[in-house]
Amino acid sequence: MEWVLISRGCSSLISVLPPALERLIDDLSRLPGIGKKTATRLALHLLRRPAEEARNLAHDLADLHDAIGLCSHCFAFSETNPCAICSDERRDSRLICVVEESADLLAIEKTGAFSGQYHILHGVLSPIDGIGPDEIKIGALTRRVVKEKVAEILIATSSTVPGEATASFLIDQLGKTGARVSRLACGIPMGMDIKYADEMTLRQAIESRKTFGNG
Amino acid sequence: MALLHTPSVVIHVTDYGESDKIVTLYTLKYGKAVAIAKGAKRSKKRFVNKLEYFSLLDILAATGKYSSLLRIDQAELVNPFPSLRKSVDRYIGAMLICELMRLWTRENDCDELLYNLLIWSLEKLDCGQSVIDTIIFFQLRMLKLLGYQLSLSACVSCGSELSAASSFLFNPAQNGLVCKRCTSFKGGSHFPLLSMNTIKTLEMAQTLSLEKLSRLKFANQSARETVSLLRTYIPYLLQKDVHSWKQLEAIRMLP
Repeated sequence: MEWVLISRGCSSLISVLPPALERLIDDLSRLPGIGKKTATRLALHLLRRPAEEARNLAHDLADLHDAIGLCSHCFAFSETNPCAICSDERRDSRLICVVEESADLLAIEKTGAFSGQYHILHGVLSPIDGIGPDEIKIGALTRRVVKEKVAEILIATSSTVPGEATASFLIDQLGKTGARVSRLACGIPMGMDIKYADEMTLRQAIESRKTFGNG
Repeated sequence: MALLHTPSVVIHVTDYGESDKIVTLYTLKYGKAVAIAKGAKRSKKRFVNKLEYFSLLDILAATGKYSSLLRIDQAELVNPFPSLRKSVDRYIGAMLICELMRLWTRENDCDELLYNLLIWSLEKLDCGQSVIDTIIFFQLRMLKLLGYQLSLSACVSCGSELSAASSFLFNPAQNGLVCKRCTSFKGGSHFPLLSMNTIKTLEMAQTLSLEKLSRLKFANQSARETVSLLRTYIPYLLQKDVHSWKQLEAIRMLP
């Protein structure tokens, strides 16, 4: 296979690439955080490696959507339905932690401090982007709480503006179900010097302070 | 490479790559500006809790060599408008305001009055004023500042004066009221209908100073008619849908 690189800027360089390589670069550059240059580097790297490696990667990519689906219970990505967490009898099914994304579930699981089940919203309310309550899994959560007589829902959305607004909406909606609704505490991170904390965080930490002993 | 120092409001935020954020600001000195904040998602001190929607900031940003994208070097939080994140109707109301600011303005086109209107509206929402009234006031005043003030004194087609007995329709193409007689010629039966009470309230909302404006209240019917007018007129002018309206509808906030 022979092709010529002409150093007249990126666009003219791309135009002389073999079509198969050009298609791969286009596909890779659609991935988040990958621009044209990184996509070109990755594509050329794959081309230099043995064909078997590229075939394995293609096989894994092709299998992704066939093998993995959403758990019908908590909406986590899983190869089984229900997922491993929902089908684990040691976990407390009357305690549900609500998170924005699968990555948040992994972060909480890493702590080992939570023994209940999860519910993944797959987003937060973002009206400016056309995402409202009907576009994320809020309806399914309300139905699940009522159907399974859940005792407590821990809302663990991020403490960004959309995350807080989504939490407020959930507190309103889930409050009507009679279940106890709690929110992940927000305040000073471990190891941080108080004088370097921003005002909002410090105010939040004071408001959600914890009482000890008889106080 | 110049350094810009200006008060600004965050009107849109999006993640970029692993750790950066692209932030759209409406600034006092330079109008709308799009800026990148390098390492903002991992920042534990410089940008934490600052590059959030609605935040009023004092920013220091550098201009790019080859593009209009600024680079934020420093951001001081002046007012985070904390109540806007604690209530979903205030949040969506503020989002509507930010969405309209983003759609209506251009980069490097500053307008101090529009900036002041943005701050006024966010303050009113934050301190608990009616969400529907505030978003109506914002839109009417924004249209006025941008040169699309509603013409409400007479029929824009035949010039007939308003009389207490009649109701008028609003024709987006003519930017004003048309009487029912003129509408029947032009096939405008789908135009929003405005009662005399609504027309009077709209006139006041367009002319009162911002200090007095918060004392004005829309009656339920007037609010309903005005929302219908704005939902027809603004997308007609922009030739685009405004997403946040649908979300206000979804949470049953519209009158």
